[in-house]
Amino acid sequence: MSKLKAAVAAAAALTLVVVAGCSGDKSDGGTKGNAGNSSITVFNGSTGTIVENWNPFSPTLLQPTQGLIYETLYWFNFAKESDPTPMLGTAFSWDSAGKVLTITTRDGVKWSDGQPFSAKDVAFTFDLVKRTPAINASGLKLVSSVAKDDKTAVLTFAVPSFTAEAAVIANTPIVAEHVWSKIDDPAKSINPNPVGTGPYQLKTFSAQSYVMEKNPNYWQAGKPQIQNVRYVALATADAATAALTAGQVDWMSAFLPGLEQLLKNQKNLTYVNTPAMTTSIFTCAGAELGCEGPQTDPAVRQAIYYALNRDQLNKLAGGGFAETASPTLLLPERDKKWIADQANATTPGAPDVAKANQVLDAAGWVKGSDGIRAKGGEKLSMTIQTVTGWSDYISLNDAMKQELKEVGIEVKPTQLSWNEWNNNQVQGKFQLSLDSIGLGASTNPYFTYLKYTTVTTAKVGEAAQNSGNYSRYKNPRVDAAIAAATNTNDEAAQKAQYAIIQQEIVKDLPYIPIYVNSMLTEFSTANAVGWPTNENKYALPASWKSWDNGVVLSNLQPAK
Amino acid sequence: MRYLLRKLGFYLVALWAALTVNFFVPRLMPGDPVDILLSKLGQRGPVTPEMRASTEALLGTSSGKSLLSQYLEYLGNLAHGDLGVSVTFFPASVSSIIEQTLPWTIGLIGLATVISFLVGVGLGTAAGWKRGSWLDSLIPVTTMFQSVPYFWLALILLFLFGSVWPLFPLNGGYDVYTVEPGWNLDFIGSVLYYGALPALTIILSSVGGWMLGMRNMMVSTLSEDYMVTAEAKGLRPGRIMRRYAARNAILPSVSGFAISLGFVVAGSIVTEAVFSYPGIGSALLQAVGGNDYALMQGIFLVITLSVLGANLLVDLLYSVIDPRTRARA
Repeated sequence: MSKLKAAVAAAAALTLVVVAGCSGDKSDGGTKGNAGNSSITVFNGSTGTIVENWNPFSPTLLQPTQGLIYETLYWFNFAKESDPTPMLGTAFSWDSAGKVLTITTRDGVKWSDGQPFSAKDVAFTFDLVKRTPAINASGLKLVSSVAKDDKTAVLTFAVPSFTAEAAVIANTPIVAEHVWSKIDDPAKSINPNPVGTGPYQLKTFSAQSYVMEKNPNYWQAGKPQIQNVRYVALATADAATAALTAGQVDWMSAFLPGLEQLLKNQKNLTYVNTPAMTTSIFTCAGAELGCEGPQTDPAVRQAIYYALNRDQLNKLAGGGFAETASPTLLLPERDKKWIADQANATTPGAPDVAKANQVLDAAGWVKGSDGIRAKGGEKLSMTIQTVTGWSDYISLNDAMKQELKEVGIEVKPTQLSWNEWNNNQVQGKFQLSLDSIGLGASTNPYFTYLKYTTVTTAKVGEAAQNSGNYSRYKNPRVDAAIAAATNTNDEAAQKAQYAIIQQEIVKDLPYIPIYVNSMLTEFSTANAVGWPTNENKYALPASWKSWDNGVVLSNLQPAK
Repeated sequence: MRYLLRKLGFYLVALWAALTVNFFVPRLMPGDPVDILLSKLGQRGPVTPEMRASTEALLGTSSGKSLLSQYLEYLGNLAHGDLGVSVTFFPASVSSIIEQTLPWTIGLIGLATVISFLVGVGLGTAAGWKRGSWLDSLIPVTTMFQSVPYFWLALILLFLFGSVWPLFPLNGGYDVYTVEPGWNLDFIGSVLYYGALPALTIILSSVGGWMLGMRNMMVSTLSEDYMVTAEAKGLRPGRIMRRYAARNAILPSVSGFAISLGFVVAGSIVTEAVFSYPGIGSALLQAVGGNDYALMQGIFLVITLSVLGANLLVDLLYSVIDPRTRARA
């Protein structure tokens, strides 16, 4: 069996090499760029059969629904530190209690069917969310949503809702009253003829590919310039690589092993790396909530933190593309202003074995004859889970196993199906688990720090809130600080609360950061130019990122 | 008549048993569809506590109900032909997914199975008729293709004819760039072109079995007395080969063929995974990945029905073409 596997791997590798070898002049018909009939092809990670769903409120929507067809009031750029960009809204203000939000909307915007857009559509959208719990994904506690005039919408909340700001202004698609007032069940409609304000509208759809075309009524003058955008489904990373190098895909986001080599002979292909998610060891830390194992001892977590050789891990598993993380779990560069103590800005790159040993010695973990420490009959041995097929995480586990052994910590890597791995995290049935810290609703640390609070957790065996506190970490000071941060819109006051949280979590480390994992996006400049670059990250360029997609596509120009 | 009723009764019990297994197996898998959907969303953006409630409301997953009442509800819905709503492809219904993907699978795997049967039986007949000819030496080659694991053979062919000599496309069901789906020559041509390599791999890997079986049955049939009689009557050799020898020799192959037709849907998963083909096998893979009970059950139902249906058909057909099987004790 292992021989067979090796042979398959060899064949797959050979395929890659051969495909990479032939130059990208095989560009397919219909993708050649000229201003009048310019067209690009996007692979956003969809596999298999594509099922039509243009409902911007549905969790299974086709991703271009958000950003290409529908727009929000404002848009947040996750790629760098920046203020929200006005889209359909031009101004907003809260009352001092955080219960009334007044929004000024943009003039001169039209829906793709030619009807004018106004603040009434905004008021209608939030009223629809209020009336339909199934589409109220961010749980807004709305009391009323009215349009004072054509340019002003006023939202009233039942509770102080400063922290819901990002969800309201940047994550709620604005829909047309004249269309959606006729839709019976806004949660279950697939919205087959979407009418939006965004740069593109639906042209053709089939189960294997669909095409978006330029919205002639788009409110940003002169945008977009690319006439057609085609989305395709590809099954595997190999298929995606082949399609990219054959010129059949212009834009995709995937970690391709040996990317530099692959793109060396391809003059049209470039890539940009926008690390934003911190790969971390999630530990089941909360003994009070039912976690078991040596990792419930903070000293063990600290020792792991110090013993890791992150430079080596990046080389071995991250392909050298990963960036330095921060023990505060924020991004050292983008979130600089939120990190209170600059001593906590970044993780060390090299291991500090002496420090790790010292921490463990002090906590009473004694090295046995086999080199593994133990305390009170319990061996310092833990399992670490990851998902079958996540090759970089599997390499990480193997490398960390070696590194941690030097300080007397034994970790046993296991690979599970995605479902089982996810289920273990949600239920708290793990000791160590490799995962990454996801993106929040905005770049405000509030969304990351919710992961440390007891409101987002549950006892082991019960489901914690998704993307919430899987670690079962419990710290009253953190809970109090988050509660305090929720009730203010004052950045300085929020910073003070976050400083308290940072102090606690840097010490307790329920999530042990490894590095900020690469987020690689590959572009072809054969058909379009103007993609984000490392110097100009005007949007998060990942081809699967909602909202940002519309911004990127509006900024492209046909290649000469 | 009693024979027929007994058969039908047996198939009904088999169907019920299959449906029951169908209901319980997916529910023993780890993970809950709401969790999976939320976690997948959580990787790409914020997920709030309220989102669980909204997703549950959306999917209509009533976690409070007992397994037994869910089971009865499931059987009741099936009786009405209602297969439920897919979670992976929400809000699409399971029947619409099957409707969309099944034709691709039947077209590709079904046709390939028929072609490989016809080719195999034809070659086997010829090989058995003229023992020791060059055709016999074909048998070890074809059985070798059959003994190689299918996905491995498919990967090699894909590598050779897709990458080294790019004669065939690497993936997909048709050329999405230039062709619009519909009943036009361009589309049909594109579908045939994209299906050619996967079909070829299936034919290559299964033709050997048909050929070997047919050849050996031919050989034993040829030694029967009625063959000598036929030759003595002075019939033309071609007529003897087809009407006397092949007709009798094909009986075991027919039942084998019916069973393999029944497994068309189930056997499509590997082919579709290797060639990124948009059939029901890909849909099943996605359903399993998303713990999409309704879709999994819908597809298992199609598999069950096709296997049972093919078997029933061959049972009934067999009693017609081979009267000996009807013999009562």
